[in-house]
Amino acid sequence: MTAVVPVEVSPARRRLVRRRRTLNAWRYAGLVLMTIVCLGPLLWQLSTSLKGHGVDLYSSPPQLWPQNASLDAYARVGEIVPIWQYAVNSLVVAAAVVATNVIGATCAGYALAKMDFRGKRLAFILFIVAILVPGEVVLIAKYMLTLSMGINNTLLGVILPSAVGALNVLLMRNAMSAIPNELEEAGIIDGANAWQRFRRLAVPSVRGTIAVVAIFAFVGAWDSFLWPLIVLSDQAKYTLTVGLNFLQGTFQGDPRVIAAGTMIAILPLVVFFFVLQRYFFRGIGEGAIKG
Amino acid sequence: MATPTTTSAASRPVREPSSRRNPDRAAPARRAARHAWFTPWLFLAIAVVTEALFTVFPFFNTVVLGFTDASRLGGGQFIGLENFSRMLEDERFWTALFNSVLYMVVVVPCMVVLPLFLAMLVNTKLPGAGFFRTSYYVPVVSSTVAVGIMWSWMLDSQGLVNQTLQALGVVTAPVPFLTDRWLLLASAMLVTVWTGLGWYMVVYLAALANVGKDLYDAAAMDGAGWWRRFTSVTVPGVRNTMVLVAALSSVAAFRVFTEIYVLSGNSAGPGGADMTMVMLIQRVGTGLDADVGYASALSIVVFLITIGLMIATLKMQTKGDEK
Amino acid sequence: MLSFNRRVLATGAAAAAVALSLAACGVGSPAAEEPQASGAAEGEITGEISFQTWNLKASFEDYFNGVIDDFEAEHPGTTVKWIDQPAEGYADKLSADAAGGTLPDVVNIDRGTGSPLAEAGMLLNLDEADPEAGPDFLASAWDGNDWTDVGGHYAYPWYLNTGPSLFNTALFEKAGLDPKAIPTNYDELYDAALQMAEKSNGKFAMLGVLPGTEMMEKYGIEVMNADQTEYTFNGPEAVALVEKYKEMYEAGAILPEALTDDYVGEGENFNSGRLAFMDGSAYAIQNLKDNAPSVYKSLVYTKQITNTGPVGYSQSVAVSAGSENKATAIAFAKFVTNAENQVEFAKQVNIFPSTEGSLDDEYFHTSDGSDDAEVRVMSAEQLPDALISRTPGSEALKTETRDQIAQAVLGKKPVQEALDAAVAFGNEQLQG
Repeated sequence: MTAVVPVEVSPARRRLVRRRRTLNAWRYAGLVLMTIVCLGPLLWQLSTSLKGHGVDLYSSPPQLWPQNASLDAYARVGEIVPIWQYAVNSLVVAAAVVATNVIGATCAGYALAKMDFRGKRLAFILFIVAILVPGEVVLIAKYMLTLSMGINNTLLGVILPSAVGALNVLLMRNAMSAIPNELEEAGIIDGANAWQRFRRLAVPSVRGTIAVVAIFAFVGAWDSFLWPLIVLSDQAKYTLTVGLNFLQGTFQGDPRVIAAGTMIAILPLVVFFFVLQRYFFRGIGEGAIKG
Repeated sequence: MATPTTTSAASRPVREPSSRRNPDRAAPARRAARHAWFTPWLFLAIAVVTEALFTVFPFFNTVVLGFTDASRLGGGQFIGLENFSRMLEDERFWTALFNSVLYMVVVVPCMVVLPLFLAMLVNTKLPGAGFFRTSYYVPVVSSTVAVGIMWSWMLDSQGLVNQTLQALGVVTAPVPFLTDRWLLLASAMLVTVWTGLGWYMVVYLAALANVGKDLYDAAAMDGAGWWRRFTSVTVPGVRNTMVLVAALSSVAAFRVFTEIYVLSGNSAGPGGADMTMVMLIQRVGTGLDADVGYASALSIVVFLITIGLMIATLKMQTKGDEK
Repeated sequence: MLSFNRRVLATGAAAAAVALSLAACGVGSPAAEEPQASGAAEGEITGEISFQTWNLKASFEDYFNGVIDDFEAEHPGTTVKWIDQPAEGYADKLSADAAGGTLPDVVNIDRGTGSPLAEAGMLLNLDEADPEAGPDFLASAWDGNDWTDVGGHYAYPWYLNTGPSLFNTALFEKAGLDPKAIPTNYDELYDAALQMAEKSNGKFAMLGVLPGTEMMEKYGIEVMNADQTEYTFNGPEAVALVEKYKEMYEAGAILPEALTDDYVGEGENFNSGRLAFMDGSAYAIQNLKDNAPSVYKSLVYTKQITNTGPVGYSQSVAVSAGSENKATAIAFAKFVTNAENQVEFAKQVNIFPSTEGSLDDEYFHTSDGSDDAEVRVMSAEQLPDALISRTPGSEALKTETRDQIAQAVLGKKPVQEALDAAVAFGNEQLQG
């Protein structure tokens, strides 16, 4: 409804329209407030990273808009570490982890939700256990394992341990469980085998969850620090988080450069996500089966 | 999508709805022959192998180590339950247990409820909804470490929050967000909720899409108000998801580490008063002089508690299903 | 997986600041030709070795590539693979490597990371492998690398450092103190701190960290017994010191952040103009100039405040006991730590060489008036009186000590009890 209200509209309808408008105004107020809460800290960090050399970072009242704005801090990040090489490594790891998680978790989720077999309980318990294991304690045992497999100091060694997240499997199982069993039955009556039912009936119904799993896997891989640090010893193979750590260097870091570093780690993800968000959220909506 | 490696060529998907490739399936709906015994395992293969190899197997090693006096660089003698009796006398252990439980008790209700409201707020066709949804998810896609650095930069005694509060005259001296035991814990909870909002919002959005619009229409027709529709349609519709969120967030909250660690400037708060279970494990179990045996014993305790939490919440789910 | 981030910041700065070390007087000829690893280790100097540094690549890549090229040119047939680790997680990386048998051939360590490795038999005992090495180094630096608790020398001394004490005189004026009367010892410092607290209204303070074993050494407290088998910082002197801190904390002479901060946080607070004193370095001054110009304007630096004369810390270079190419590894470790390369390194960054006679270089005694040069000359003058710390001081003990003292300062525990607990923790680690 636009600004001009047609003359012949009944008073009741007008009241409804007005009520809807105030409701929408409130909704917008809430939405904007939450956006400030969610994006504010990031923007402040961005502003810090852009503040020019010699500008006082600790002034009161705070200086929101960067004075003498310059990209100098970003250039310095690039001088200190081969940032693009690291970004490529991170991308390789993240892409591989997304692929293995999507495939592995979707398949496993399907089996857990839609198939009856001996050992199902055991498999389910395995994933629950895996979620609960505190990662920091199995670190050395895991490292010894990669050594004996001969995959230490390779990106493969970074990828494999996070190839399939147990949490993703459970999310997938939950999504698959929501698919009505009648659909499965119909597939069986049509003579479709397990793989066909999975591909043609189950997967299209959980596209939203697949998108969710993909994002989770990507963020997890991009974010991980301690494991790649332990596994990799060759600098050319470092991932972004490990590489950026050189910035918080031996000597006290410049807050601007550290801010720039965190922005370099965050911004690609944010941009990537903003670009893909429509598919991500639409997927969530359309992938669901009514019922 | 790439072709999965777990299937045989014979079962590759075919576009046409033909059963030509599966003569054995010609008789429809044979009760027992839905799939061969090994088919589920082919589906599970990647996931099971990964978890078994890189998580569960190392964890069994850890369990064994929990009963030894192993250090990082040396082997270990079996010492029975000594590590566990040591815990009872370790004041750090009791502080950590208290803080972890408190963290969970405060954070979990927030995680179950707030993201649901956020999901409902944003679950609209209004112009710009896409932008808002996306911006709420941004904290999730930001790296945890960067988020920690960001918030300590903001909550610092000279940080944005304190500078603003002082400039507005709300307070005269800086609020000790990061140096007071309780405020630090509260700040960490705030950061946890801040990052978790978007995460669980998405989970709820997926669930809300499953709640039939016709149910809402029917309820609206009956003249049900906003609250009635919320309690009689939305909540039952996403109940299972709420249980799932409760299970996941309680485990995550009980194992809180990064938020407190980063905000407290890599300490456990003043005098170690904000120690949590995982922080204690990290402190005891890392570094060159790590006490691997004791750290392993602590992990066993954390593991037992979290698995208890998980089972309890999932029980709630199945109980609900029977109703 | 969790990342243990901020520690990074801490250990990172630790690496350097702890690298804080001094060298003593040296008389001597210009850089003596370094002896070839003759009788040291059997075998030819050839083949590939790996060399690991701790967070130095970012700033000194060219220097290290130069050193490696020189070495490879001097010993044809050798290849040195340089690995630099980021600041964060260095101890975890070392322990994973040690446990997995993948420790690099030549590795940069300090006292804290070195002694557990030596104790586990991961490092080459130099008293056996290279007994002639001692005289090449300043006596104080060589003694500082004598780890009696694990029985001898396991690493060549590398760079040493010391820094001035920094004061923000603007805060002195704000509190009505004479900005010309800068404290020169701990008693004066604490008196000034208490006076400042009366006027600061909680907005700023003199002190930003709690005392740790390093500070106690400077204060003149016996932190360990002579043969380094036990910690002893729970005696009456230490108790009195902590009681003093408790009094100062209650009076507001110490920032509340001190209860959780290490010197990374201390530096941030100094930069933000809330802290009137800290132990610094030439680098900290540069940092101040760039990031907090308003504080820099009122900065005054003096000789390091101590009761004992400065205490320093040494970065060291060790050889892995499991190295398959020990002869080359030893030769390279000696090459990196020889006089020529150390002086060259010292000219690139404000640290000091540990080799005998190197401090006589004109460079350490002439100033062009810049902060860098002033601090360098001041520090080099302090060096002859310096004592190189041999206290193992693991990260875990530092943390435990800070937490215990924080509890004492907060009044949650008697001081004696807190120090006893920290000492017991340290001793248990020593027996480890």
